[in-house]
Formats: sequence, C-alpha cells, structure tokens
Amino acid sequence: MRDGDLTSRDVAALPSTCELMEREWSPCRHACPVHADVRGYIEAIAQGRWRDATDLIRDNLPFAVVCGRICHHPCEANCRRRDVDDPLAIRELKRFVVELQGAEGATVHKAASQDKARVAVVGAGPAGMSAALDLAKMGYRPTVFEKFPVAGGIPATTVPKYRLPREALQIDIDWICAHGVELATGLEIGKDKTIDDLRAEGFEAVVVATGLAKSRLLPMPGADHPRVHPALKFLTDVSFDHPVDLGQNVLVVGGGNVAVDAARSAVRLGTGRVRMMCLETLAEMPAYEWEQQEAQEEGIEFIHRRGPIEILVRQGQIVGVKARAVTRVFDENERFDPQYDDSDVIELACDTVIMAIGQAADMGFVEGSSLRQDDRGRLVYDAATQQASLPGVFACGEIVTPPGSAVEACASGQRAAVAVDLFLRGHQIRIDDSLPPEIDSIAEDTAEKVINVSREPVEAVPPQTRVKTFGPIDKTLAREAALRESRRCMNCGAGAEVLVDKCAACLTCLRVCPFDIPKVTDVARIDSSLCQACGMCIAECPAGAIIARGWDARGLPARTSAALASAASDGHAKIVAFICGHHASAADWRGESEVVAGVAEVYLPSVARLSVSDLLAAFEKGADRVLVLACHEGADRYPQATRRISRRVDQARQLLAEVGLDPDCLRMLELPDEDGEAVHPALVAAVETLPAG
Amino acid sequence: MIVAERKPFDEILEMLAPQKRVLVLACGGCVTVCLTGGEKQADELASQLRLAARQKGMDLTIESDSITRQCDREFIENLKADPGQYDAVLSMACGVGVGFMSELYPETPFLPTLNTTFYGANTAPGAWAEYCRGCGDCVLAWTGGICPVARCSKSLINGTCGGTNDGKCEVDQEMDCAWLLIYKRLKELGRLDEYRKIRPPRDHRTDRGRGVRRLVHEEMVELEEEESQA
Ligand SMILES: Cc1cc2nc3c(=O)[nH]c(=O)nc-3n(C[C@H](O)[C@H](O)[C@H](O)COP(=O)(O)OP(=O)(O)OC[C@H]3O[C@@H](n4cnc5c(N)ncnc54)[C@H](O)[C@@H]3O)c2cc1C
Ligand code: SF4
Ligand code: SF4
Ligand code: SF4
Repeated sequence: MRDGDLTSRDVAALPSTCELMEREWSPCRHACPVHADVRGYIEAIAQGRWRDATDLIRDNLPFAVVCGRICHHPCEANCRRRDVDDPLAIRELKRFVVELQGAEGATVHKAASQDKARVAVVGAGPAGMSAALDLAKMGYRPTVFEKFPVAGGIPATTVPKYRLPREALQIDIDWICAHGVELATGLEIGKDKTIDDLRAEGFEAVVVATGLAKSRLLPMPGADHPRVHPALKFLTDVSFDHPVDLGQNVLVVGGGNVAVDAARSAVRLGTGRVRMMCLETLAEMPAYEWEQQEAQEEGIEFIHRRGPIEILVRQGQIVGVKARAVTRVFDENERFDPQYDDSDVIELACDTVIMAIGQAADMGFVEGSSLRQDDRGRLVYDAATQQASLPGVFACGEIVTPPGSAVEACASGQRAAVAVDLFLRGHQIRIDDSLPPEIDSIAEDTAEKVINVSREPVEAVPPQTRVKTFGPIDKTLAREAALRESRRCMNCGAGAEVLVDKCAACLTCLRVCPFDIPKVTDVARIDSSLCQACGMCIAECPAGAIIARGWDARGLPARTSAALASAASDGHAKIVAFICGHHASAADWRGESEVVAGVAEVYLPSVARLSVSDLLAAFEKGADRVLVLACHEGADRYPQATRRISRRVDQARQLLAEVGLDPDCLRMLELPDEDGEAVHPALVAAVETLPAG
Repeated sequence: MIVAERKPFDEILEMLAPQKRVLVLACGGCVTVCLTGGEKQADELASQLRLAARQKGMDLTIESDSITRQCDREFIENLKADPGQYDAVLSMACGVGVGFMSELYPETPFLPTLNTTFYGANTAPGAWAEYCRGCGDCVLAWTGGICPVARCSKSLINGTCGGTNDGKCEVDQEMDCAWLLIYKRLKELGRLDEYRKIRPPRDHRTDRGRGVRRLVHEEMVELEEEESQA
C-alpha cells in the first residue's frame, strides 16, 4: 500500500464515491477565489440540468450573474484543457445558465429559523452582500446599509453597462435578498448614522465593506479644472445617467481596466477622439489583453511610457497635457517605481482629462466612531480574524484587501461571515484557509490523445455598432453552443481509482485505456491527474477493482429501474435505451423530449461506461429489449469508445443466447450524426428493428 | 498461472438444478487475470442465472460475492456472504479453489463453473497458451525453455518422432511440432549438443504416479506451531 491508496473497505464506507472528489481539486475550482465546483456545474450544464448547475454555482458564488459577465476568470486561466486546445469558456457557460434561470430559477436556502443576532453590514458591494448572505443562511439577521440608492457596489454603480446590464445584476441582488438579507439603501454610515449608533441600536456585530470608491488624483497644475474628472466619479455619473461635462478630445490618464472602462464610456458618449496615456508599454499595461483589444477596436489610441506633469489651461479651457517620458515603471524587484526623463516632454492636445491612476478608500464611515486608522489613513485590521480595532467590528472586501475583482471580494465577505459567527458564538476566531491539493497539469502525451474540440466562439457586437450605445458588447452563448462547450470539459479529478485490495494486476485496464493512463506495478495505479474519466477500464476490469470518483457506477441499475417505471407501458414492449448523451439535446437529458412509447431512456455522458453486467441488469430490471445508442465512430467523446461498446454488446448477446433469450433483444446502433435532434428519429427507427415483444 | 474457461451455461444450470439459494463466488486470483472467474464474470453469470430462472420459472435466488483467492483459508474472513447459508456455491475458481473451499465448508456443495484447462501465459491481450504441465521434473534447461511435456502430443523427451510433418504434429495439422521448435531454439542458442544427448526415461513418480502431491516448508510449519503454543 502506498500513501493515498484506496481499498474496497474505504469505498464501502462512503455514501457515494463522489466524496472522493474532495481528495484533490481540479485547477479550475482551486483557482476560483470562492472555489465554486466548476467541474460539477459544467457537467450539469452538459446534461441540460440548468437548475442544478445554477444551484451549484450559487452555493459558492452569490454574484453569479455579475461574475458570469465580468469575472476575470482565473478558472479559465488554469483550465487543464488549455494544454489540449483551448480552456473551457467557463465564464460564458456561467453567464448562459444563471441568466437563463434568473432569480426564480435558483434555489433559496433559507435558514430554518432566522432568529440569531442582528448584524449590520456597511456597503452593499460584492463583499458586504456575500457576508450578509452567509450570515442569513446561518440564521443571523443582517441589514446592509448602502449610501447609493441601489445595492451591488461598484458593479451596480460604476462598471459600465455595456459590460454589465443592471437588470442582469439585479438577479443576484434579488436572490441574495430572498434569504432574509435586509437592505437599507440611501443611507451613508458616518453621515446619516455612525457605527456607534449601529451598535447602540442593537447590532451585535458590524461588517465594514465599503470598498474603494474614490479615484486617486495627481497634484499638478491644472488638476482642479472642472473638466478633469476622477474616473470613478465619471463612470458613476455615466452609470446613473447624470450629465458629464465632456469635450471632443478626451485624454484618459491610466493603463488599467478602470482607464479602459472610462475611455470606452467616453467613446459611447459621442466624444470625437479618445486617447489613453499610461506609464507602461503595451505589454506592461495592467488592463487585460482582451480589454486593450476591444478598446483599440473601438478607435481608442494608446500612448505609452508617458506621465503627466501639467494640465495646460488657456482662457479657462483645457488645451492639453504636458507629459514626460518614462524610463522605467518597475524596479529590479518588480515593485512599482517609475523613473522619468524630464528632458523629454511633449504636449498632447485635449480638452478633457479623466484620471484613472488608482483607487482610494472613502473613510467617511469612520466618522463618529472610535475605529482606528493607521498613519497612512488605512483602517486598522487583522487579516487573520478580519477584525477592526473595535470588538465586534469586522472588515472585508477592497476596503482592506488590495484592489482586485468582484469574486475575490465575495470570498473576503464569506470569510468575514465565518469570523462574525465564531465571534458571536464566543469562540476564538481561527479560520482554516487550507485547501485540498490541486490536480497536476495534463501530461503532454496524454493531451495529445484527447480529441480536439474547438472552443465555442462568443458572438461580439461589431465595434461600429457597439460604440453607439451602452448595450452589451457581446452575446450570451446560445443553448446548443453552451451544450457543446460544456461537453468539452475533461472532468478533471472525476476519474478512475483502483481499489488496491481487489486488483489482480491483470493488465486489462492498461490495455483498454485509450489514453494509456493505468500503470501496473505491484497493482494497477491510475494517475488521477491524467485520467480522462471515460470509464472504459471500469467496465472491463474483471476484478471490479476500479471505481470513479465523479460518478457512482453502482447507481446505474437503480436509474434503469426508475426509467423503466416512469416509461409505464400499456401493452408496449418495455425497452431500455442506453443513449450516449454527448450530442443529445438538453431536453433529452432532462427527459422532456417527446417520448417513444414504451422506451425508458437512460442518458450517459458516454456509453463507454456501460459494462456487460449493466446490459444484462437492464433485462433483469424488467426490460424486454435493450438498445444501446452510441455516437458514430469518430464522433464519440473518447477514442475507441464506440468500438469497445460494440464488443461488449456482442458479448452480452452471446450470454443472452446461452440463457435462451433472443440475442436480437439487445441491439446497438450508431447515431447518424452529431445533431441533438438525431436521437429521437434514431430511437423510433431502432425500436422498429427490434423483435416483436 | 492457472488458466480456466467457463463451462457451458446449460451444464452449470443443470448441476445446480435442485438448489434454491445459490452463491456465485468469484476468485480474485489467476482466473481473474485470465478474465474467466473474476467479480465481473461472477456478476455476469449471476445475471444470466437469474434471467434463466425467470425464463424457465425456476425458484432460484442467486447472489454473488468475491474473495481474494479461494486457495487460502485466511481470505474467507473477507467474504461478505456466508457460504454456509446457501444451498450451493457456484465457484468461479479453478479446480483448486473448488476443492479447497469444499473442505472448508463440508456442509455446502461447491460446484465448479469453470474447466481448469492449463498452466499458461498471456500471449496477447485476451489470449493465453499452455507452457507447462506441472510434471514435477522440469526439463526446460535442455529444451531451450520449450516444454515437450506440455507441448508435444506424446510428451516425448527424445523427439522428434516420425510423425513430424513440415513442422506440424501428426496429431493435429494446426499444431506446431514441439520438438522442431526445440531444435530451432537450441540451434539459435548454439546448444545443439543438448539436442544430441539421449535422455533417460522421466521419473513419473513426480508427476501423477504417487497420488496427491504435497509441498511442506518445514521452517514455516515450525513457526506456526510455536505461535499457536505461545
Ligand atoms: C471601473 C471598475 C471596473 C471594474 N471591473 C471589474 C470587472 O470587470 N471584473 C471584476 O471582477 N471586478 C471589477 N472591478 C472590481 C470590483 O468592482 C471590485 O473588486 C468589487 O466591487 C469590490 O467589492 P467590495 O464589496 O469590496 O466594494 P464595492 O463594490 O466598492 O462596494 C462597496 C459599497 O459600499 C458602499 N459604501 C461605501 N461607503 C459607505 C458608507 N459610508 N455608507 C454606506 N455605504 C457605503 C459603496 O457605495 C459601495 O456600494 C471593477 C472596479 C471598477 C472600479
Ligand atoms: S477541463 Fe473542466 S474540470 Fe478540467 S480544469 Fe477545465 S473546466 Fe475544470
Ligand atoms: S483491470 Fe482491474 S484487476 Fe486488472 S490490473 Fe487493472 S485494476 Fe487491476
Ligand atoms: S480507461 Fe478511461 S477512466 Fe480508465 S484510466 Fe483510462 S481514461 Fe481513466
């Protein structure tokens, strides 16, 4: 036995082999700041189980719609499929399913009783709302105070609508509030009420989640001109349709994502010329590559390696910006430390300047309380316990973390909820942040054997059209595209495990695996980081020594019985059809397609998983006839799957003949093409070829 | 290892005919490796039997279980089912397993589902061939590793006979003449001198000549006895 070896006894003790998924995480899940079960929800999408997918997403991610639209998706950056062809379009899949389901289509997990302490949350951004949600689920009574008239934080007030339509965001807010989260909008803490007031009103804990609402500015001549706009204020004004004083020649100072948002918003307001000026080269710019690209498509020009020193004002009007050359942005240790060449100064003509060089906190909430700030004005805070300088006051989100993303703010809020709960229950605040190990990247020779399937493209609105409005810049994946995309997922970590006590080292797994994954030394061992979870070895192992982490094969006979029972047949032959669902429609998977009389349909991610015993068991469960519908050779999910299953069907037919049953009661056929609509006609035709019942 | 093949289904059905409650018991040893008597094959046979019982209206309850090896006493501890609780056990083991388990459960009939066919090796995925007959007096040292006892129809030790025929055996045109193979192999090895030697008759007492063959390692026996006294 080696470390981590599994025995039949270990597995017998588990309610489902799926528990083994916690041994190692797929990198998508590992990289996700809230550790959403990415593989799980993608599989649910692949099977048309929209609600299950949505629930799985929302189990970890309250701002599912927001993140479906604007997440920087570290999951995708880490997706193992990138070593095969392209990473899964995880964000687009999420966007597709959570918006399709809306707030009503997601399950609300309300606490059995919500009678624990009242908790005040200051700021209704991703961090504050996530903390409030988790507290409500635990039975606390959270109230979220928000200075704006709407909840959602930066995504609701500042992120441009062309990237995040507000009605979409509202789905998240509605779903969160349905858990018993109270909202008090239009109320600014530090002005309308103080944190001390909140304590006095009976809130037993306070969570500060006020974010970074202000743009940092640069002191220089001309900086106080009314046409020098701080980017965040500008974006918020645009977002609330407030008038903004914009000329015809805008210079955005900054090279980050906020700068791009400001520039692209300025373009949409009808400004003649929009340029971005930043310290960095194109490669050094902090804005995401895709943001840079889209900005350029929209006619925005980039000026690199320049820093502003003066805003030139003549006769009360801005006429330009004086900028000096930048010789370097980062020092040897990659710390931000720009150096300039003051002999190289140019003048850039413009009539409006938007400053997008960084964000700062609005510390107004401290007013009237004894919360301490450090010498640089930052909130005093302990990252381990998330406590501020007053007992019972916690902080989360960007007010205390470096500026990042919405999903990171959610994670921070969720951690704060854990801290608040520990505190209110009188426990010491100790939070275990450790994670299970993540699965290694896929080895090159395995990657080569995975069938390539290209990533579904997202349909972008052409630049000339999109710059005219604040409407969405791209389209949500269509249903068929979402199904195809989700079926590219390699189910990382859901694959085979050998029960070492049962393995006879017969080498069968090694011989049937189309990816050459199993190695047999003393016993067989299957490297979970390589296994593609096709299930072929499981179906063939003579010792029953292989199980799958991601699905419990023991469950198939029960599924077959249930399908037979629901395909109640009056007088019709009872037919079980095992169908490869890799190209099937969502309605097929959900059992909502038109039924063929007397046929119990059992969809599988691939028929590669069906064993001879599974086929015989269907007859035992009461089927008179059994059909196996496989994808035609070459179109199946895994190499050789169709040929393998065809041999198993032949073997099962022989065993039936021995028993004295007509072997023609078991048939396999290959689906004619890849179209989801093909399953039903094929099924109808196949049923006709079966011997009469 | 031991290679076995499944008996015809009808024969199995016939031998268990009077029984009502039957356990199909897989063996995780050789017969799993040769894909005949493992847990998977036991499940398949159990399924077949249940289907046949339904088909023929027989009152038959079939369950299945598996064991690491049916030729070692200790493994019976791991059984989930108790063989003693059944009218009969259909053993998926080789004859050794059937016989040994019958001794352990004198009250319960252990019935063979396999024909134990030979000691063989896996020549290709899904294929096995006989390499040894277990004669108890190994000659491979001077036959180039090719066993004439197992592979010559007449088990000659001074071949070939007159029946060799274009490299095939007179008994079966499909079968290679073992002695021709031996000749070629020894030639390759540069050891035709071995071939030229006339061998004395084999000692058949080591084969089937003296009844049940046994092996006793004294050093292990003693150790076990000491332990049981302690
Ligand atoms: C222009 C812009 C674009 C961005 N784009 C993306 C993106 O594409 N993808 C992404 O993942 N992230 C993006 N981000 C970052 C993301 O918005 C933040 O990481 C996230 O919103 C931080 O959440 P938070 O809850 O900590 O703070 P916030 O979202 O800032 O929420 C804080 C809330 O507290 C309220 N508040 C502040 N002070 C008080 C007070 N005294 N009383 C009451 N209420 C108060 C504020 O009004 C605000 O609603 C962007 C940020 C900006 C500025
Ligand atoms: S292939 Fe699927 S499970 Fe694997 S990393 Fe990508 S999304 Fe996650
Ligand atoms: S097929 Fe099963 S018994 Fe054979 S080596 Fe693989 S795990 Fe072991
Ligand atoms: S056959 Fe499939 S399930 Fe088994 S090890 Fe290979 S890839 Fe994994």
